[in-house]
Amino acid sequence: MTDRAETPSAQSLVLEARGVTKHYEGVTALDHATLAVGPGEVHALLGGNGAGKSTLISIISGVTKPDSGKILLGGEVMPASGPLAAISAGISTIYQELSLVPALSVLDNIFLGREIKRKTLGLPLTSDRRSMELAVRDLAADFGVTANELHTPVSEFGALKKRSIEIVKALAFDPKVLILDEPTSGLEDAERQVLFGYMRSMRERGVSLVWVTHHLEELFGLADKATVFKDGRTVATVATESTSIDKLITLMFGADREEFGGGDTRKIAHLQPSSERPVILRARNLTRGSVVRDISLDVHEGEIVGLAGLAGAGRTEVVRTLMGLDALTSGSVELNGRRLSLRNSTAAYRAGLAMLPEDRKQLGILADLSTAQNISISRLSTVTAAGFWMSRRKELALAESYRGQLGIKTPDVNARIGNLSGGNQQKAIVARCLNTSPKLLIFDEPTQGIDVSAKVEVHALVRDYAANGGAAILIASEIEELLELSHRVLVLKKGQIVGEVRNIPAAIEAGEFARIKSEVLTLSAAGQAS
Amino acid sequence: MTSKPRSATETIRNLWERLLVDPTLGVISLLLIFALIAAFALPVFYAGNNIYNLVGSSITVMILSIGMTVVLISGGIDLSVGAVMALCAGVAATVLKMGAPLFVAFVCAILVGIAAGLLNGLLVTRVGLPDFIATLAMLGFASGVLYIATQGVPIIGYMTSEYYIVGGLDPLVGPVTFPILVAVVLALIVGWVLSRTKLGTHFFAVGSNAVASRQSGIPVRWVKTQAYMLSGTCAAVAGIILAGRNNNVPADLGTGYEIQAISAAIIGGASLMGGRGRVLGAVLGALTLALAINIINLAGVPSSFQKIVIGVILILAVIANYLSELARGATQRRRAKRLSSIDA
Repeated sequence: MTDRAETPSAQSLVLEARGVTKHYEGVTALDHATLAVGPGEVHALLGGNGAGKSTLISIISGVTKPDSGKILLGGEVMPASGPLAAISAGISTIYQELSLVPALSVLDNIFLGREIKRKTLGLPLTSDRRSMELAVRDLAADFGVTANELHTPVSEFGALKKRSIEIVKALAFDPKVLILDEPTSGLEDAERQVLFGYMRSMRERGVSLVWVTHHLEELFGLADKATVFKDGRTVATVATESTSIDKLITLMFGADREEFGGGDTRKIAHLQPSSERPVILRARNLTRGSVVRDISLDVHEGEIVGLAGLAGAGRTEVVRTLMGLDALTSGSVELNGRRLSLRNSTAAYRAGLAMLPEDRKQLGILADLSTAQNISISRLSTVTAAGFWMSRRKELALAESYRGQLGIKTPDVNARIGNLSGGNQQKAIVARCLNTSPKLLIFDEPTQGIDVSAKVEVHALVRDYAANGGAAILIASEIEELLELSHRVLVLKKGQIVGEVRNIPAAIEAGEFARIKSEVLTLSAAGQAS
Repeated sequence: MTSKPRSATETIRNLWERLLVDPTLGVISLLLIFALIAAFALPVFYAGNNIYNLVGSSITVMILSIGMTVVLISGGIDLSVGAVMALCAGVAATVLKMGAPLFVAFVCAILVGIAAGLLNGLLVTRVGLPDFIATLAMLGFASGVLYIATQGVPIIGYMTSEYYIVGGLDPLVGPVTFPILVAVVLALIVGWVLSRTKLGTHFFAVGSNAVASRQSGIPVRWVKTQAYMLSGTCAAVAGIILAGRNNNVPADLGTGYEIQAISAAIIGGASLMGGRGRVLGAVLGALTLALAINIINLAGVPSSFQKIVIGVILILAVIANYLSELARGATQRRRAKRLSSIDA
């Protein structure tokens, strides 16, 4: 709590958190955390996964009760009596996972639970959609939602529009504070800019924004202040104009920035061209309807092949066919010269393929199972005695060895994996893949939704895997990440390969990062299939 | 991390904490409360063969709920167990009547049970019907077949002296009846499968998150199918025993058993959301149900109130399981705090 920027006097604060402490099953999520947000301020909350940001906003928005400490709104203590009380007191929250009901219209979503009623037979039973529309029409227009769209089901809109609808929904009830939890996740670059415009116009309306983000570069020019959390404690509150990404990272992780977002301290672990090494995976003319069209690719020993492309280009679809998760219309796959029949994922794993799926929560973790079970699940024969019955001792030993090797932070590998932070869950799933001793490992968005320090660690895991002779396919939406890790990048568009960029490590070494980046981006956007 | 207990108080505390974190704490406490009520309020509880009969009457539901627990763990539900059980009872009785030996009759019944389970599994995993619909259809199908075959007249005249033993009407060794032995062996086997085999781990994984399980290479459809086949087998075993205990097989023999089996499994801590459940819990759950029904019978409450009682117990059990979950969380927090203070 040193190094604090000038603190406004308590009276002028809109939102304040004092000494907030919260324990979850054996973990201290918040330890006397503090926060002070002034009126009309964009206030960023920063910190690694598990730093306590999410817990703090869930306490502020009334979802979670703190063990001790208090939240003050406009100088008055808020009773901890649930999310509805927080909303009516003037604190609205837009969560990372969108909380709209897909089947309902935009208007019904905005007024969900707070409908304007009209009297029928003397009772306020009927929703008065006309009054509701009148009440929000102008506001909605300001955030790009037209009067027509108000009556369309939410399920028909994309990520940005849904975010706008959430904003309108929040602003419709004049909040004093609006909490945004990773609002840019799932948005394309151009959409982010639109969202930032919306955030500025909310600030002009006098709403204080509390903004949780992992993307430090987004802060500058938009956030007024940033409060950094680490291990559940408030480290510092700084004015963004007088700080830098490096300083913030030092505050967040206590160490100097290393390997983050294309910095020049980047390490290239493996420079040798790998095209002379033996081919591990040889895929020919993979086709699945119109989603995957005539894809042929080779992956050599020790090589990381990146798949680039815009959203919807078919990157995940290609690897799903390799894993037997989706059936091929035509095409063939050889692994170490042996033809594979890709009936289902079990056969794929047995043949020596493994995949780290995108969307860790939905596709990755088995939340009810322990960390140890999550690690061994893809090859249980590694933890069985006589190949048949499970040995808890072996399971524990295996989990402990990966815990040490990959730096999985958990007090107890036998506790449910759901309690771990995102980065540690991801490392456990990397362990799950490694435990199958795969000949080819597919990483689909390996660092999605995990914090910067865990990102660096996962990058190291990917590199180590290839450096030890493994073959890998990598999908990453962040172009910098893709280029830093891949030896070779194939660019996809509409299910087809539209280009290839080779010898990436050498190019980066020669200082041509910007050139290959623009080459890949150009191909992704405008490439033509040969 | 794991420090050895240093004093007697610490040993007691560790034992107490072990009990508090046990997932069957909820059902155990419920069972104890009922037993205490019975012991103090109803002296007749101990009279004659009451407790013996009580255990005997719980066996059918117990065996069904063991299979049900596996299905629930794997994320499904099996509404057909009562009807399949009755059909298998009918098969066993009919084959016996045709003069076949006991063993052959039982094998036939069990094959029918496995086939019903397989069909359930295929309907769910290959045709893609929701579990609820597929097994509801099987319920209708199995009870329909039994009705047509019996034309509404109960099957009788198949009992042999050995079948009296199988049905538990005559004891096997000392006070132990054949059904009790079967239930214990079945519980041990299924419990062992769940906690000590790959298949068991796969059941939990699939029930916890089927999509993620598929992504990690588990043969999800086959695992789910096996859960239904196990449930069908349990239904057949229960049918064989019930046919012996009942002396006749009426067409509606299985009516209402699916509700009791699901209730026993839930009372024992299984979750309708999948991924959670224990065989020991199901066994205790079935005993709890039987005990509660026994108490109200002894207390002279009309038997028509039984269903209400089952409903109330179900709610009590879910509350008890929730409370034990809270106790577990609190205990783990305390323990973690203590451990970290030792580390520091």
